[in-house]
Amino acid sequence: MKKVIAIASRLCTGCSICALTCSIYWCDEFNLEKGFVQVKRYDHEGLFNITFSSGCRYCLRCAEACPSGALRVVETPEQVKIT
Amino acid sequence: MPATWKEVAKIMSGYAGFILDINLSNNKITVQETCRLGKNYLRKYLGGIGFNTGMIWEEVAGDCDPLGPDNLLTFSVGVFTGTNLPTSCRTEASARSPLTGLFGTSSSGNYWGSELKFAGYDSLIIRGRAPSPVYLLVTNDRVEVRPAAHLWGLGARETMKALRGEMGDGQLQVASIGPAGENQVRFACIENGPYGAWARTGLGAVMGSKNLKAVAVRGRAGIKTADKNTFLTLVKEAREALFRSPFYKTFKRFGTMNATVPYARFGALPGRNFQTGVLAGWEDTRTRKLVSKYSQRGIACISCPIACGHWTQIKEGPFSGLCAKDMEVTPVFGFGAGCDVENLPSITYLMEICQSLGMDAVSASLTVAFAAELFQRGIITEKDLGFPLVWGDVAAIEMLLKMIAFREGLGDILAEGTWRAGKIIPGASEYAMHVKGLELPLADPRGRWSTWTFGYLTNVRGGDHLRCRNPVENLRYNDNPRPYRTERFGLPESVFQAVDMAEELKSAIFAPDTHDVDIPRMAKWSEDLISVYNALGVCIRPPVLQAWGPTLFSRLYTALTGIKITSEEIMQAGERIWNLQKLFNLRAGEKPEHSVYPKRFYVEPLPEGPAKGNRLDLQAVQATLAEYYLVRGWDKNTGVPYPQKLKSLGLKF
Repeated sequence: MKKVIAIASRLCTGCSICALTCSIYWCDEFNLEKGFVQVKRYDHEGLFNITFSSGCRYCLRCAEACPSGALRVVETPEQVKIT
Repeated sequence: MPATWKEVAKIMSGYAGFILDINLSNNKITVQETCRLGKNYLRKYLGGIGFNTGMIWEEVAGDCDPLGPDNLLTFSVGVFTGTNLPTSCRTEASARSPLTGLFGTSSSGNYWGSELKFAGYDSLIIRGRAPSPVYLLVTNDRVEVRPAAHLWGLGARETMKALRGEMGDGQLQVASIGPAGENQVRFACIENGPYGAWARTGLGAVMGSKNLKAVAVRGRAGIKTADKNTFLTLVKEAREALFRSPFYKTFKRFGTMNATVPYARFGALPGRNFQTGVLAGWEDTRTRKLVSKYSQRGIACISCPIACGHWTQIKEGPFSGLCAKDMEVTPVFGFGAGCDVENLPSITYLMEICQSLGMDAVSASLTVAFAAELFQRGIITEKDLGFPLVWGDVAAIEMLLKMIAFREGLGDILAEGTWRAGKIIPGASEYAMHVKGLELPLADPRGRWSTWTFGYLTNVRGGDHLRCRNPVENLRYNDNPRPYRTERFGLPESVFQAVDMAEELKSAIFAPDTHDVDIPRMAKWSEDLISVYNALGVCIRPPVLQAWGPTLFSRLYTALTGIKITSEEIMQAGERIWNLQKLFNLRAGEKPEHSVYPKRFYVEPLPEGPAKGNRLDLQAVQATLAEYYLVRGWDKNTGVPYPQKLKSLGLKF
């Protein structure tokens, strides 16, 4: 089994803790632009969208830090291809 | 202008690095490095409200016209804002208040402040007055004063949409005023994004007086840490403590609506402009019991795992289809109890009206309640208003809110706030429910006497509940073992042990064995603590208050900024900020007699409910206040800080 990140943007509250966590670990600063995960806010509608860039290192720290369940660490069989 | 973020990062950690100063009279833009304030200054004032207080004290004279060009409007971001410390999202806006004439200040979360910090600025100072409407654009490489004639007249939400469209950037964050701010309604607010605000003390009117419609910010840089590993270890510790708080899940589920039930059970609602503490059917129509019916999902400020806001959709009745970020306790008490509006959808709708007009919902609702009582008593009539203003009549309330925002008819007088309107309308002053000119929120102190409600009296910004919060607030009890002096503790021993307070102070504030709370001493400590929270940019919701204290904050501050500070020093910074605000107030003309509840609380017993017959004893209240002054190191009669107290804080008056 391998650990992957399951994304459910509909559960995202917009806190951006994922992006802040990612950027401080990998870029040594809190920076919403530099993280490999980003949260786009559609704040007039109370909606948020989570996207990952190709630089993502799969360290899972974003999902471990996510308080809302929008990002979760799940185990999948090895043969599942991560896209 | 800052050169590049890399240059800034060399200078400072934790702070963004620059203070932006804009004079709208001559479009002069000045940028100062935050580090030039010096480490000692940073240790003394931290950031956020500390910076604002220092700047306003230095530059705004006691006789400065709050709505004139000489008033300063300052926004300062909390030190922790923009980091991953849970709930560190707050930014403080301050100016001399046009409503109270005193130190006007308000804290707000959402995303605007962190965006300003990511753009490179710890503070934004706005001075002068633009000759015609303008807005500001602040990014990492641009600061521009732009014409805003096309935005004038728009609501805050429409302004944000228009500016996002102009910039082609959906992530642009906008602080803006609505029509109420443009028309200098004295309790106009500054909207923060589509659903938040720097609400209290009329800062929107200050912005309107400067012809400043909006401040749009976008930041793309980062914030460094002095000691990353220690900071992240402490954040982990803080996060775990927060998750352990018994309030965490409740706040996640109900948000601030949590408080809607206990105050009703105490009979301490501000019913019909504080004429009654109970309202029929309250629990089944206007409380947290109904939240799940309307709320769909949590909405958070940046860095907040609690997400106390809830996306709300009304699905039935005349307001079907209405969406909002949240149902909040203050408008529910203001409109629901103060104006006796009988259901949550109607309250949400009225909140929406306040938001679109850009008015503080607490002051607006209590001003409407004041007018409704005047109507009930025949002091104003249908002839004055153009319609009857009956309790709970949503359409009439909406019309009156619009009259206030556009200063039409009687609305022009009410736009001055209840204190001034009470003096203008013959026979009205005793129905103005304010302290120091600021309309009272939430609970009636006749129904519940506590550190919280005593704080309405001592608050430097006037009658308000948000500057005197503490980790042992207990809404399960309504009990004063020593009348006016103590309140029942009633929480588990573990909560007492967890309170982060020096042992000596603990034994002075909490009684032996019972741990009952000494109200004047706790009020002083709470105000200092909240000043620290507002300087650091951390939210004051109960789960946070209960989980963290000055020891953790001092360690976090040192790890983030590299500037060593102890928990005693950080609490002293809070005390310094509070004292300096008091000095500002004294310079602006605050007198001892202003620290008084509305006359009603002393002479009219509550007519019904669990607190029936309660009224405040003026002498007992004054004795508690005198004790508070002494604890503060202030003259017990006048509330003026003694020179030795000021000297110990490095202040002069």
